[in-house]
Amino acid sequence: MIFEGSNEVEAAVRGVLADVLGLFPERAAAMTDVTPLFGAMPELDSMAVAGVLTELEDRLGILIEDDEVDGDMLESFGSLVAFVAAKSLT
Amino acid sequence: MTGHADNRLRIDSYDWRGGREAVLRFGPDHGPAVIVALPLLEEGNRTRSLAVSVLRLLTDRGIGGLLPDLPGTGESMTSTEEMRLANMQDAFAAAAATRPGVHGVAIRSGALIDRAATLAGRWHLSPQDGASLLREWRRIAGQGADAPSLAVAGNAVAPGLLEDLREAEPAKHNARTLRLANGAGRADGTLPGSPVWRHSEPRNDPVLAQAISDDIVRWILM
Repeated sequence: MIFEGSNEVEAAVRGVLADVLGLFPERAAAMTDVTPLFGAMPELDSMAVAGVLTELEDRLGILIEDDEVDGDMLESFGSLVAFVAAKSLT
Repeated sequence: MTGHADNRLRIDSYDWRGGREAVLRFGPDHGPAVIVALPLLEEGNRTRSLAVSVLRLLTDRGIGGLLPDLPGTGESMTSTEEMRLANMQDAFAAAAATRPGVHGVAIRSGALIDRAATLAGRWHLSPQDGASLLREWRRIAGQGADAPSLAVAGNAVAPGLLEDLREAEPAKHNARTLRLANGAGRADGTLPGSPVWRHSEPRNDPVLAQAISDDIVRWILM
């Protein structure tokens, strides 16, 4: 899948979080750049993080190295989208 | 899901070179049938109810189904620590041999298990190769690529299985590959629905189950 721009990436990240964490559509749709993720969202435990990362890899055809995964990347919806966009738009 | 279909579900067993395992049999004993390979470990638990829904829908269309326990899964006496890929492949092949002409249906890493079986064809849903599975397990366990063994969601995984999986690939021979509509990767077709193997709470997806069974019916009868 080739992504034209960051809107598609944002939609993909939103879809992955909704699917992996089982979020209701309204809650997934309400996430903005500043919505906090890791540490703030009870569904996002370490196992769910693994699922989110692997599903992003599957869905966007990217590879995320373990040393790229840190608290900053997962801090907010916006930071995760920015990380994934940098990976998939290059 | 009719009462009639329920009456045609039964628990049976099959023998393979390493012992005896249970197999759920759905639908008629003759005519077309599928045998299902679930993914390994946690994803297997998460996709089991989807697989059973699909098998019931296929029963309603006159297609029989087999859902075997494999050594290390379900009710098997083998612990997950003793799971080896070759044993699962051989057991799956033995279960398939109880129903000559059977078609294989594999979900995710289940596609690594159907290699040794004699099948009329292979139908793979979002197949996952061994390298990707290992990367995910290491992520879940929080361990690096050099860790000799892993504990994945409460299951101890033996070094031998990790070794088996390193270069394991889904069999490509006579295979039809389906993916979800929003997934990446090569596919012969896409299906609507959500990746139930990702959901931390097991749940079903009736839309996906219907789409899978429709595609399988067309594939078998074409």
